[in-house]
Amino acid sequence: MKHLKTAGRYIRRSPYQALSATLIMTLTFFAISIFAVLTVLSVNLINYFETRPQLTVFFKDTVEIAQIDSMKAQLEATGKTSDVKYISKEQALEIYKNINKDEPELIELVTADILPASLEVQARNPEDLKSLAKVVSGSEQVDRIVFQEEIVDTLISWTHAFQAIGIGVIAILITVSIFVIVTIIGIKITARKQDIETMRLIGASNWFIRVPFLIEGFIYGVMGAMIGWLLSYGILLYTTPILESFLKGVPIFPVPPLTIVQILGIELVVALGLGVFASYIAVLRYLK
Amino acid sequence: MIQFKNVTKKYGKDITALHDVSFSIDKGDFVYLVGPTGSGKTTVFRLVIRDLVPDEGEVLIGDISIGKLSGSKIPKLRRTVGTIFQDLKLLMDHTVMENVILPLQFTGVSEKNARQQAEEILLQVGLGDQKDKFPLQLSGGERQRVAIARALIFNPEVLLADEPTGNLDSETSYQIIDLLQSINKLGTTILMATHNKEIIDNTKQRVLTVEKGRLVHDRPSAHKKTTESKKEDEGEEKEKKEEALEHTDKKKDEKKEEHETS
Repeated sequence: MKHLKTAGRYIRRSPYQALSATLIMTLTFFAISIFAVLTVLSVNLINYFETRPQLTVFFKDTVEIAQIDSMKAQLEATGKTSDVKYISKEQALEIYKNINKDEPELIELVTADILPASLEVQARNPEDLKSLAKVVSGSEQVDRIVFQEEIVDTLISWTHAFQAIGIGVIAILITVSIFVIVTIIGIKITARKQDIETMRLIGASNWFIRVPFLIEGFIYGVMGAMIGWLLSYGILLYTTPILESFLKGVPIFPVPPLTIVQILGIELVVALGLGVFASYIAVLRYLK
Repeated sequence: MIQFKNVTKKYGKDITALHDVSFSIDKGDFVYLVGPTGSGKTTVFRLVIRDLVPDEGEVLIGDISIGKLSGSKIPKLRRTVGTIFQDLKLLMDHTVMENVILPLQFTGVSEKNARQQAEEILLQVGLGDQKDKFPLQLSGGERQRVAIARALIFNPEVLLADEPTGNLDSETSYQIIDLLQSINKLGTTILMATHNKEIIDNTKQRVLTVEKGRLVHDRPSAHKKTTESKKEDEGEEKEKKEEALEHTDKKKDEKKEEHETS
């Protein structure tokens, strides 16, 4: 308690330094929170596409239902499919309407004629997707074949790139935070050099002198994590409706509250470690 | 209680702060350490609290050789030796009470007990009503008393006072001396550095004089004399007696000669 009181006293005595330390920590943990939320969302996105049909065969408008049935039978006859589902133009329109239910003007413009009929194919083994596509690709009635795998692969490569950039930015911010905290605690130690010397001469142990500075680093870390997390959560809440309408039909929102709390918990642990580690470096460096 | 055995301390290669200094202070003694500025008085104190380590020789408190203490035991030593520093070393952003209870916080004494203990000591040094003031709000003498109170908070066996009357007027200086003497009467061994000639001239206590890092004189206490100084005194008395006898004999011879001439 007395160490906490002393740390509080140190913070009050140099509020601008304390503010700088908290701000840099806030920036770092804001970036970490945003990165964590975006990672969760990208994982949701990939999962969504992975659960979609692996192969979609879109037909031209001239196709006859008998031709579609024939192709469906041919696909099933290979024994490589687990499910083949026919989506008529009307069903496609229903799906479109459902996706755009909040925007009637978009629904008004579209009729069943515009949308293609399709076959959604799930393979028993993803490796068979290409041979399944060959079964129908020769038909003149097939407009195009879409492999979900390609979309997922693209998403994964985007996610990896995003993760690499995010980790890089966070690493830089963490490094800057450590340097800022080390410098600020160092300045404080230098400013209190005489008092520290006095305490040593009248019997204070090294740890008695060090602990308030470590607590100070801990406070900066925790404050930064809390504020950074709150800011990012606020932004997430604000942008969720906008992003939801942008990503129509892709159900990656909302981010579960438990995940948000878990992010806070992990950040607090990281903040504690970061703040105390940076202060400890300062203490070792300046309190020889 | 405190023993210096052939202690030499150098600062760098050229400056010898203490040169082959030996003395011993018994438990319960009040000893003055005098000498001009730069003579090595503060070095003596810094060696006792292990702020410095002797280059040669040994410093002992009781049976403990200070130079051989491990780093972790130094704080404990400093809690058993109360020190009043020349520049007081009070924490200016702490109140009188906070300054005095600070050493107790090192040992984990509860805030309540620490305050209770500090209040008693502040009463003893005459600062009972100043506990919530900051050092800058106090007079020089009062600040000195805060430093004394802080040094006494562990009820130390040894109290080191480095120029405690340095910047004080004569009246306040004597008040501080009286206070230290009353502390000494309770059994605390006191080593006090001063260059105040008036205090030294008027005291009956033992006086160690250092000059240019050497112990040049050891004037014993009027109450208690060291064996060495007793021998010196006995020698001096013997010489005086012999001189007096010679003088009397001479006078007798002169009178005889006069008598014979007449």
